[in-house]
Amino acid sequence: MSVKIEVIAGGVPHDKIMIAGLVSTIVCIYLTYLNAFTNTQMFSFFGGLAVVAALIWGSHTIKVLCSYGIGTGVPSAGMIAFGSGIIAMLLATKFGMLAPIVALVLAAVIGLILGYVSNSILNMKIPAMVQALTEMAVVGAFTVMGFAAMISGGFTFTGLTTSTATFLGFPITSYANSFIGGGLIAVAFLLGAIAIQHPFNACLGPGWKQDRMLMLTAECGFLSMIVAAVMSFALISAGSALISLIVAIIGWLYTYTRFFEMSKRDAAAWLDSKPIPDTEGH
Amino acid sequence: MSAVAAKPQAGGAINPTAMAVGVVLLIIILGACWYVSPNLGLTALIGVIVGGVLIGFGTHFVPVGGAPAAMGQAPGIATGVAMLAAGAGLAGLFGGAWAAELGTTVAVITGGIGGGLMMAITCMMVNFVYVFGMGIPAASGKVLHDPITGDSQAEYKSQGTEGHGLPFVSFVGGVIGGILAGAGGTLIYLALLDLYKATFPTMMGATHAQVLPVAVSVAGMFAVALFLVNAVLTAYNITGTIEGPHDPKFKRWPRAIVASAVASALCGFVAILIVVKLPM
Repeated sequence: MSVKIEVIAGGVPHDKIMIAGLVSTIVCIYLTYLNAFTNTQMFSFFGGLAVVAALIWGSHTIKVLCSYGIGTGVPSAGMIAFGSGIIAMLLATKFGMLAPIVALVLAAVIGLILGYVSNSILNMKIPAMVQALTEMAVVGAFTVMGFAAMISGGFTFTGLTTSTATFLGFPITSYANSFIGGGLIAVAFLLGAIAIQHPFNACLGPGWKQDRMLMLTAECGFLSMIVAAVMSFALISAGSALISLIVAIIGWLYTYTRFFEMSKRDAAAWLDSKPIPDTEGH
Repeated sequence: MSAVAAKPQAGGAINPTAMAVGVVLLIIILGACWYVSPNLGLTALIGVIVGGVLIGFGTHFVPVGGAPAAMGQAPGIATGVAMLAAGAGLAGLFGGAWAAELGTTVAVITGGIGGGLMMAITCMMVNFVYVFGMGIPAASGKVLHDPITGDSQAEYKSQGTEGHGLPFVSFVGGVIGGILAGAGGTLIYLALLDLYKATFPTMMGATHAQVLPVAVSVAGMFAVALFLVNAVLTAYNITGTIEGPHDPKFKRWPRAIVASAVASALCGFVAILIVVKLPM
């Protein structure tokens, strides 16, 4: 089996991205708490922005880990990140207001132990392994929590498992019509898992450029956010969901345009080919 | 940072200290679980650990070829462990979940059959594509004779490759792996579902029927998450590719058993903590 080794120097250092990602994710998740203060659901879109910030951090972590050639393919890193992250996130939602902090600590502990297991028990001996798996578990937890906050307007266990529906004019509590009870969490899980592993998988190689990969990550994040915004129509008010959708579409259009420019910049030659002309006249 | 110097040294060697640490960690988690929830919780955790180990062990049987297999340069199914195990395991998990009402034994067997069936179909279609699409015969690069049929392999192996296609032993390995992984995934789901069905009504102050969607969803999500964690850890153990039970890498399974047990115990313990009343 061949081992691909590629470590490309340059760009923003990983620690900087990690700290920026961590801080902005936590701030954005907490900004959705404005919903509770103002008694609206308008601020749910901050959950989606938290997702984008966490994904940018996570995809760079995947780059650090997978540069060592772990031999299992880049997607596996995304899968273990979300597998361990969602476990921490589900328990953390029980802690109410403290949920993001608990998710951070719990995911870091789970990731640390999984990192030790893979590096020492399974003898992987990759220097970046323990730190990378720790970071990725946190990213996984934050991403699902961001989606949860965005789709349901909150991140507490009660809020994620119940919703108030109106039946014949009377408000009733519904358990099936909720983020967890309705299975929306499974969609959020895979939306995040695909968005985190795709950018490095698509951009790796000798022509890897940090800004292009991170822009692609943001693009994937906003694309997932569009889907999440559409799903949020089921659980939060239509106006709030519309705000999320508009933010997501604007973000996606901007990042997609920028990514396209960067791809053209990094391409060896750019030829704007037209569709095949009808030379035969039929 | 020199990545060339830090090339992964993953080999077949067992690290005794780390294995001991893993076993101690496992005992500590079991003890902690006994402390917070002696009856229901511990039963569920043991179910989760057994399921996780089944997934970890089962994945070793699955012929994972990765990118080299897609180019016909190595035997196996041309994708990564995470995708294959997720496919087989989730097919089994869904099969088992449908049968959850018929009791644990029936559901676990159904899950195993679901996973095995999915792998059998995958292996067959992969060989169709290899033989009729790419025009390559099935030949193992690791053994001279197929351990089951006794067919000679070396004559069919192209020079410069590690073998190609899906030999019979790999096919059988894939089906066995699918059965074990599907059964393991179902076992995790059932263990957690029983726990949540018993504890959610009091915790959330609602009737049994009302919390059922939440219980099913949380248990299902944990089962999927544990499945992916165990499958990826096994993928790390075999460094990405394996031909099947006849591959020398298969002998690394003791490490994966310990790793899967620790990882499942840890994740399962967190899953159980959801229903434990925490001091807040």
